[in-house]
Amino acid sequence: MQNKTMMVCRCEEVSFDELVKTASEYNCSARELKLRTRAGMGYCGGRTCRTMVDQIAHIYQPRSNNDISLKYQAPIRPVRFADLGEVKS
Amino acid sequence: MGNKVIIIGAGPAGLSAAITLAEKNIGVVVIDEYLYEGGRLLGQLYEETPNKWWNGIAESERLLARAKELNVEFSLQTSVSDLEKIDQDWVLHTNKGVFHTKQLLLATGAAESPFPIPGWTLPGVMSVGAAQVMTNVHRVKPGKRGVIIGVNVLSSAIAMELQIADVQVAAITLPAANLLTINSSNPLEVMNSLLYVSHMAPSPLIKIGSKFMKNEILKKLGIRFYPKDGVKMWGIPIMLRKAVIEIVGKDQVEGVVLATVNIDGSIVPGSEKRIDVDFVCIAGGLYPLAELASLAGCPFHYIEQLGGFVPLHNEQMETNLTGLHVAGNITGIEGAKVALAQGKVAALTIASKLGASVTQIDIQQAIENVETTRANAHIQFHPEVLVGRQKMKEIWAQTLSHTLS
Repeated sequence: MQNKTMMVCRCEEVSFDELVKTASEYNCSARELKLRTRAGMGYCGGRTCRTMVDQIAHIYQPRSNNDISLKYQAPIRPVRFADLGEVKS
Repeated sequence: MGNKVIIIGAGPAGLSAAITLAEKNIGVVVIDEYLYEGGRLLGQLYEETPNKWWNGIAESERLLARAKELNVEFSLQTSVSDLEKIDQDWVLHTNKGVFHTKQLLLATGAAESPFPIPGWTLPGVMSVGAAQVMTNVHRVKPGKRGVIIGVNVLSSAIAMELQIADVQVAAITLPAANLLTINSSNPLEVMNSLLYVSHMAPSPLIKIGSKFMKNEILKKLGIRFYPKDGVKMWGIPIMLRKAVIEIVGKDQVEGVVLATVNIDGSIVPGSEKRIDVDFVCIAGGLYPLAELASLAGCPFHYIEQLGGFVPLHNEQMETNLTGLHVAGNITGIEGAKVALAQGKVAALTIASKLGASVTQIDIQQAIENVETTRANAHIQFHPEVLVGRQKMKEIWAQTLSHTLS
């Protein structure tokens, strides 16, 4: 099948098929799908695949309309390690 | 710095809010990630009605000149990575240091949602908005000849812009059906969605479509007999009966494989044909960019007609958090003119809190202006945007009555 190697999360190399398989097996929330596959947990912070991971999860588990399904966590933009914890000597 | 209003986002909503505030003698700092002010205005260039063009760059220059005249401060290339509330202040952590303010306006706009197509990770594949920015803002051609996957208002407008810049668009076509392209790959669904943009720039596609609008059987006939090679709009074939099933190339995009699709979106076996292109745009639509509102702790609601998760807000553009306001596409996907009008409402609301001479009537008039602008909008991203706006109004009223009771 062509979709076999279709990447969804490039950072963590999670394919479309793997996401669909996991979502259909566990009928889980978008967050659980993320934690099970690591999709959206790479260095880009899910900026590319977030909506796709979210959408796949909600094909198998109906959406609750009142919560962001994949939470945003700071930092929402890349920051330098130095900005996080530089010790100035 | 703490006494100034901070606006995040120098697009139409942010600029219009900044001008309105500065006209009331309120100090404003506008923060934006990008190199220039204007936001997505910078990419926009289209014919609204025959011979009347909307030139986003000219609009943003006009707004910027006015803002500068009023001493609005700008901090460009400034990314906000975190935001928190400390005592009465909103504290913004950015790559240019920490900012404090009591009154914050989030005008962060929208982001594009992609969908996957086999081969979509090859260099040369980009979102349709990226092609627009390259072409209209940076004046760099994304390629010589490309294909746009995803037929919608945004992709057809950008296709025309590419053509004006002498970049050939071989076709605007559907994505192959998979779980993530359910609606955007179904010819009938796509045609239905296009019927609502019949007031868009003159196009034979729309004209053909409009005739079928009222009758389901005619609609089906229309899509069944829709020309396989597409109907041309501004010379670009819009192919509702073809889908890209694969993007091919060794180290970069070299072509796409197009196949004929049945009216339910399934592929006609043996119809696959390769065409050569050197870039591919994916047009998956827009969603409100609400990261900062989420970090701030705003409640969210998923409203399809507004493009996805939207922070809880009222018509005055207040969130339920003290000192936090929203305007523009963060509140729902609409055109730049609506964003401009919303920016003004948010600014008047903030100004009135800061004791400037703003009456409730002023704010009410600005809200009515948003509604008029919406009703006259040239481009509607969702045909039922009004339903979405109404939903948010109801949710706000409910939430408020819970809080009070």
